[in-house]
Amino acid sequence: MGSLIVFLVAFPILAGGVLLGVRNGNLRNAIVVLAGLVVAGASIATAVTFGNGNAVFFDLPNGLTLGRSLLAAEIAIAAFVVVVSIQNRRILAPILVLGQLATSLYLELAGKMPEVEPGRLFWFDRLSVVMVLIIGIVGTLICVHSLGYMRGFHRSSPMIKGRRTIFFALLFVFLGAMFGLVVSNYLPLMQVFWEITTICSFLLIGYTRTKETTGYAFDALNMNMLGGLGFSIAILMLTGQPDGLDLAKLTAGPATAALMPALALLCLAGLTKAAQMPFSSWLLGAMYAPSPTSALLHSSTMVKAGVFLLLRLSPAIAGSNLGMLVAFTGMLTFLFVSLVGVTEQNTKKVLAYSTIGSLGLIVGCAGLGSPELIWAGVMIIIFHALAKGLLFLVVGTIENRFYTKDMENFDALLSRLPKVSVLALTGIAGMFIAPFGIVVAKWTAIRAFLDIPGWQGAALLVIMAFGSSLTIFYWGKLLIKVLAMRPVTEHERTIEKRVSRFEWLAEITLALGVIVVTCFLGVISEQVVGPYALATFPDTSQSFLHVDPVMLATMVVALLFLPALALWAARHERYDLADFYAAGRPVTSGGVMGMALGGSRTVSLRNYYLEGVVNGRLAFRAGSIVCGSLLVALVATGMVAR
Amino acid sequence: MSLHPAVYAVLFVLLAPVFGGLLAGIDRITSARMQSRVGPPLLQPFYDLGKLLQKDARQVNPLVEPLLLGHVAFMAATGAMILGGTDLIFTAFVFALAALFLVLAAGSVNSPFSFAGAERELIVLLASEPFFILMLAAICKVTDQSTFGGVLGSAVMVAPKLPGMLIAFSFVATIKLRKSPFDISTSHHAHQELVSGLTSDMSGRLLGYVEVAHWYESAILAVFVILFFNWSVPLGLLVFAVAYGLEVLVDNSTSRAKWQLVLRSTWVVTLLFSGGNVLALFLIK
Repeated sequence: MGSLIVFLVAFPILAGGVLLGVRNGNLRNAIVVLAGLVVAGASIATAVTFGNGNAVFFDLPNGLTLGRSLLAAEIAIAAFVVVVSIQNRRILAPILVLGQLATSLYLELAGKMPEVEPGRLFWFDRLSVVMVLIIGIVGTLICVHSLGYMRGFHRSSPMIKGRRTIFFALLFVFLGAMFGLVVSNYLPLMQVFWEITTICSFLLIGYTRTKETTGYAFDALNMNMLGGLGFSIAILMLTGQPDGLDLAKLTAGPATAALMPALALLCLAGLTKAAQMPFSSWLLGAMYAPSPTSALLHSSTMVKAGVFLLLRLSPAIAGSNLGMLVAFTGMLTFLFVSLVGVTEQNTKKVLAYSTIGSLGLIVGCAGLGSPELIWAGVMIIIFHALAKGLLFLVVGTIENRFYTKDMENFDALLSRLPKVSVLALTGIAGMFIAPFGIVVAKWTAIRAFLDIPGWQGAALLVIMAFGSSLTIFYWGKLLIKVLAMRPVTEHERTIEKRVSRFEWLAEITLALGVIVVTCFLGVISEQVVGPYALATFPDTSQSFLHVDPVMLATMVVALLFLPALALWAARHERYDLADFYAAGRPVTSGGVMGMALGGSRTVSLRNYYLEGVVNGRLAFRAGSIVCGSLLVALVATGMVAR
Repeated sequence: MSLHPAVYAVLFVLLAPVFGGLLAGIDRITSARMQSRVGPPLLQPFYDLGKLLQKDARQVNPLVEPLLLGHVAFMAATGAMILGGTDLIFTAFVFALAALFLVLAAGSVNSPFSFAGAERELIVLLASEPFFILMLAAICKVTDQSTFGGVLGSAVMVAPKLPGMLIAFSFVATIKLRKSPFDISTSHHAHQELVSGLTSDMSGRLLGYVEVAHWYESAILAVFVILFFNWSVPLGLLVFAVAYGLEVLVDNSTSRAKWQLVLRSTWVVTLLFSGGNVLALFLIK
């Protein structure tokens, strides 16, 4: 049993090591594609092997033990952070990482680190199945996409030194660490993987080594190390508790008051990694990295580790003050970043705000904790991984063609890049077109809010109503830009032909994934997500598992409508139909208007950003302050509860 | 009256345009009387529609027509789903999606007037959507039901428990009925600055689709009012009629507001009246 898991973790890391030495482009392509196939295959094999039953626990295969390898890994991580921080003259990261190391060393030297109970090193259940499949399939598709993207990236930015060997090595190490994280039951083991993902994202964000990206990379490092320090202290506290380091036993039911301080710190760790306010800025800074990095951080790794931990903790914190504070942090983050999102013009940042908002919804679900909400949270993870992964890859492709991330420069995308537009529309439809996975999850959450007594229920409902409506605005604007049509020049027609086959492969597969998952929503709910949610909270009804067929049909139609229409329209381009109305001024094709006093101008249209009504910077600051205060309350609640 | 819900759904799809069309006819007569004119015959909107559908459509690109058909279809589906017994809160999302298709149709034209209209329609969607989610959630909360049939069969009277929600409804309905001062995305009055807003580049049968979708939309609003007066459908319709009359009066006595005012005021009203009502509901119940 254990050997499959060890393979899943070790193989990508080994593949990464091999890629570090491969400088030949064709050889790299071959290795990445092959390794990707193996990783995806192994993740599917793992899911099939373990997937049809309940939770299983196991150790490393025959004879292997952890020994002092965890401590060795932590020392290596700390040494690395200290060295890069000295090189870049940063002070905060080394302090945080040495603090982490100090707790581990103390436990080890004082002999206080309890032995891991035999047979309980790893924990594999239906949530692990979902996560392993997402990492194995979406993650490797992003690696394959990068083969095409990075070539274009370096062609368009010649002053950036290409370090593609490191880039691809990091992608694979990242996947290996994520596999380890989602199957760990022993908390110190999980923490090591947790820190490896932090280091990988730090290096990926700082890939271009400009002053700007180095700054953002350190932002990410500092914030995630702070969460990591919380994780370490939590472990320190939990060593005094029976079964404290056994995640499954720790979260088997409502936690006792003695466990609350440690749980509060674990929640803090989860919130930092999930980029919830006031820690959202690291994920926004990460938008300056190459697009596959964004795709990876958003869809299958990093932020998903944060919400994964919170979903795991949910049964322990549900119903407590701690749980309520976590839920409000998530839901308020959702509201505030949605407000900021309507004022944002950089497409990647809009996608980032949307990610933080979706994660906020999951955090809200995890904090409140009920089978329905856990179901909703896991559903959002699945849909978000596919749709957002796809969208970042598509934006990366567009960016490499037009050299811009500005939403306003995406206009008439359907005419300029018809096939890319169809993929973009699938992604947007997957994220937001009303009746789809995330909407079903929102709907489930609203139903659950109705049962929460007191002002909290009312407040959550109002937050959801406004937050949800705000997302319509920025997705709507993006859709208008993509769908607007105008005649294109011969030169513009050739642009799409230069998209590499790696990019097509990854994007088309993900788009099909979005469609397949929607069509099989009912099966996924009844076989995987539903049973998981019920196992987490055993004493509840099962009625919510059956997705209403009318809803399901609406979802499929709504999802397919725009991409199918775009596909059809791109093939039946007809601009000879009529010119648009321009108050009586003459218009020629392509939107050139004759002016009243002679001369002519090309029509240029700009979206509304609600200036004067919504102030994005203010909303971001206000959200950070509000959620920051909640966080202080959260840690304090934990301490008081003791 | 215990027909299968699917029958009500079909009846809605068939009869809602008749209802909406008649309403438009009454609207035009009432407006005319307010302006000391006689006004057209009651059935004029149907004659107009018939003529529009016969005319050639001036197509600007291949997307507009299918998107508008999607707009009509999803509007009809929203009403059919409500009456057919789909979860009410879920239908709020379908309702928004239906409205979005109109925005996309106008946006795809890529022309100044259509684009401005499309963006403004997006703003009014942003303004009104929080209310509809809150309203349907509150109705479900009060009655402890989740479907149209369930709410109508409930012994709990909805309107007395949701007075704030009703006040906010009258405000938001002004947007959905495209009445001044909130008619910022289209223009039913000829003197306004946006020419014809988001319908600028829609003509012939395309304009006919927009009209039919709007009739469905009016009928959905009437269904919402019936949800408030769940103990008596005739009373609900009567209240809707009176409220509609007031909307026409407001329409004829105000000038159009700027989008900033529309957005701010709708949010404030939704927050104060709907939010306050929801809060009271959660605290008292």
